Amino acid sequence: MRTRAEASRQRWAILGFALAILVLSFVVLKSAYYQLVLTQVLLWAVLSLGWNLLSGYSGYFSFGHAGFWGLGAYTVALGMLYFDLTPWVSIPFAALVGAVAGAIIGYPTFRLRGHYFALAMLAYPLATLYVFQWLGYQELALPMKRDAPLLYMQFEDQRLYVVLALGLLVAALLISLKVENSRFGMALLAIKQNEPAAEAAGINTWRWKMLALMLSGAIAAIAGGLYGVVLLVVTPETVFGMLVSAQALILALFGGVGSLWGPVIGAMLLVPLAEGLNAELGDVLPGIQGVVYGIAIIMIILWAPEGVYWRVLDRLPRRKPAAAEAPPRPTATVVPLPHERRASTGEPLLVLRDIGISFGGLRALDGIDLAIPEGGLYGIIGPNGAGKTTLFNVINGFLAPDRGAISFAGEPITGLRPNQVCRRGIGRTFQVVRAFPRMTVLENVIVGAFVGAPDDATARQMALAALDRVGLSAQSGAIAGGLTTRELRLMELARALVPHPRLMLLDETLAGLAHDDLNGILTVIRQLRADGITVLIIEHTMGAMVQLVDHFTVLDHGRLIASGRPDDVVRDPSVIEAYLGKKWVDRVAVPAK
Amino acid sequence: MQKSPTRRSVTAGLALGALAAPGLRIAPAWAQAKSVKMAMIAPLSGPWARQGQLLRQGAEMAIDEINQKGGIEKLGGAKFELVVADAGDSTEKAKNAAQRLLSDQPDLIGGFGSWLSSFTLAVTEVTERAQMPWLTLSYSDAITNRGFKFIFQTSPTADWQAAETLPTALKLAEAATGKRPKTIGIIQDNTASPVSFGKQLREGGGLDKVGLKPVVDQIFTPPLSDATPLVDKVRSAKPDFLLLLTSAMPDCKLVLEKLEEFKLAKGKIPLVGNGAPFGSPELLKTIGPELLEGMLFSVANWPLKGQEEFIERFRKRTGEPFATQDALCGYGHTWILKEALERAGAADKLKVAEAIRTMNLTTGPAALSFPGPIKFDEKGRRQEVPMVFAQWQKGVPVTVYPEDRAVAKPFWPSV
Repeated sequence: MRTRAEASRQRWAILGFALAILVLSFVVLKSAYYQLVLTQVLLWAVLSLGWNLLSGYSGYFSFGHAGFWGLGAYTVALGMLYFDLTPWVSIPFAALVGAVAGAIIGYPTFRLRGHYFALAMLAYPLATLYVFQWLGYQELALPMKRDAPLLYMQFEDQRLYVVLALGLLVAALLISLKVENSRFGMALLAIKQNEPAAEAAGINTWRWKMLALMLSGAIAAIAGGLYGVVLLVVTPETVFGMLVSAQALILALFGGVGSLWGPVIGAMLLVPLAEGLNAELGDVLPGIQGVVYGIAIIMIILWAPEGVYWRVLDRLPRRKPAAAEAPPRPTATVVPLPHERRASTGEPLLVLRDIGISFGGLRALDGIDLAIPEGGLYGIIGPNGAGKTTLFNVINGFLAPDRGAISFAGEPITGLRPNQVCRRGIGRTFQVVRAFPRMTVLENVIVGAFVGAPDDATARQMALAALDRVGLSAQSGAIAGGLTTRELRLMELARALVPHPRLMLLDETLAGLAHDDLNGILTVIRQLRADGITVLIIEHTMGAMVQLVDHFTVLDHGRLIASGRPDDVVRDPSVIEAYLGKKWVDRVAVPAK
Repeated sequence: MQKSPTRRSVTAGLALGALAAPGLRIAPAWAQAKSVKMAMIAPLSGPWARQGQLLRQGAEMAIDEINQKGGIEKLGGAKFELVVADAGDSTEKAKNAAQRLLSDQPDLIGGFGSWLSSFTLAVTEVTERAQMPWLTLSYSDAITNRGFKFIFQTSPTADWQAAETLPTALKLAEAATGKRPKTIGIIQDNTASPVSFGKQLREGGGLDKVGLKPVVDQIFTPPLSDATPLVDKVRSAKPDFLLLLTSAMPDCKLVLEKLEEFKLAKGKIPLVGNGAPFGSPELLKTIGPELLEGMLFSVANWPLKGQEEFIERFRKRTGEPFATQDALCGYGHTWILKEALERAGAADKLKVAEAIRTMNLTTGPAALSFPGPIKFDEKGRRQEVPMVFAQWQKGVPVTVYPEDRAVAKPFWPSV
């Protein structure tokens, strides 16, 4: 998330860019041809920005933005042909069409991830292309309105198209900026970097992804609508074709994916390059323009694999992490814990009844009954493969149990999505830390704060407080990718803590830590208990746990084999057998008697 | 990273060069101040490059002839010059090409193009605003339905061709066999021109008017993977003849081969098509003369009686086995512009346009290049144009109708 100052700088940059384009159009470029190419540059930039809003920020690559572009173009063309609708009305309407299409497409398609999502998106424009052919819309020419050209957006002066396209681009830039600077953008970035972690941190990933696709579809469609007006001829191949989808993607990748200016840079460079090559080589050596264009793209991508924008940014002298990132220590540190201390009432906070889940033939959990009273530290131990992490995944909603029921604070939570579980007050960390590696420590934690914070400023304050609580304030401005294991664990703890959970699930938080680091974390965990948070912690090594927890539960092969005070549990023969094998049972058990 | 500066500078140079190039366009050395310029915008790259190439060959041949004979007489023997732009493979590129040409070449007197109807629609939006007389062979009715004043369509429009093709085919059948076909099979793809053709037949009453009963009526989406289901219906329904409206060569080939496999080819079921692709040398090369023998197709323009000398020169010059609609129109359009210049007496696009509007050519190379006189109505459509039919005979598609311009007699493959 950018600071306010930076957002305002970006707004000035957008204004400056718009003025530069206007000067270019009205002062520098004299011929209608250059105005036409400039219009196309701007429109392709809008499409690419729309694509970037979904794919650049959330990482869900779409090969199918031609679908929205084409729907926009056809909305305008059909509106004018059959309803005599002026583009002034139908172009905004196209945005609505694009948003609805985004919702319809997103609903089934967001079940898929990665390459599968990208390929499924590819199918939509190709299928729509055939639908429009089947409907008989092979070639639609927008009628020329000689009597009311202005009413129908048919300008004699090409510069007016530049102004309109520029208006769309500025709007798309401002929307992108707004998204980047809000929890919307943070949520998308979190999804891109680690979707399960985002979900576990309470982000409703489904909702944000759908919103992103709808907004993205609307932007692409509105640009497609104006494109139809500029070209005046709409055919399925030119608006739904592969090349349109590819164009959206190439411009953003080339210019700098996931950045505000990347798609604009891509369009400003590549579109005139392609057109210039067509103009210069098209009549001399037809076809060679495509070869030169391809080579140019390959070479620039070799030079700047992440896009021109990022490459240039890397070359610029790096600004120091803003001083604002090391904020005044919030007063929250010392005393008033946001959570009023809860005494151990003995009322079970979390109740699992007969939980079972299988993966194929493997019964990962089998008839687990567990009641965790509020307050205190509970350890779950068991050898590798005992089902400990699976148990956490079932509790926090990553997995739905095949049978059984879970209730939390008296309410059933079986089958809820992770973000809903999080909202009810269950935080968790992961065995392998799931950080958002390209965000700062503070941003990582802010993602967790969106659950409870009414606004972004509060979220920031809450995140700072949580960082302070785990002793990580000094690192708040650092990029998460560069942290040590201990710092990562603490950061994850802070992220889980920030919405003030009643129950924390800690998955092997102590694993792989050196002795000194271990003590630091143990202190923090004890502090949690002191603050009244119930902690459920998984470990497979017993050493540290025996000193730490109040109560032990032992899992083996998906079954609960022992439960009780730590001292008793470690002497339980079935526990010894599970850890060490049968022959150890006698040797160890005898002296205990 | 020691290599990167080189790579970077080459890239930057390339990008800058390409960006700057449009501004540095250098006029060819042979373009003298006195020459008069006309334009051609056609696809020279992409899937339709071959058609654009043929148009260009025809036009260049006409330009050479005109200049050898002393240029434009009324303009003191000024040389005629062809300026070419590539319409590429999309309407966007076609429109850009038009806008660019008009910006770069303010002294153009007219032009022609751009083969594909949707390209022509986009290009003429630009030429119309510039009041540039523009000739086209594209069939689509939409081109001359927009009330444009500077567009001249030398081909009969798609609807008209759809309306005329069947009656003429029936006339040919009746003349050859004495029997009038009663049933028809239709196999077509769903691209723009077959769709508008089929629409005229089914919804426009084209079939009812000639009393034909469609016993097979199949529409497919290209590319066709297997023609068996289509041809199987033809086999069981046995129409008196089959109307084949395909736009892609591989689809056409699949259907013809399947007809052969089912023993329906070589005249068992007479074939009628529409459009120049049915007479292309590529079709001959892919499918071979035997399967094509006897196939009839209606087309806007095809080599006619009286063009023998031109065709011979064209074949020598280009190495093509025969001339087609595209080369003929490239040649003919150039000559129409030349005639208009002579009538206008000035290298002025408005006067040239007016000259085309009022011309009525029946002799000379321009008139010889098209069936019927060169005479346009107020929409810009050519008047008194007969439907042209060609038929594959011994490996050559020869014009068999109208009789006065035909170079061979039609035969109706008998059942």
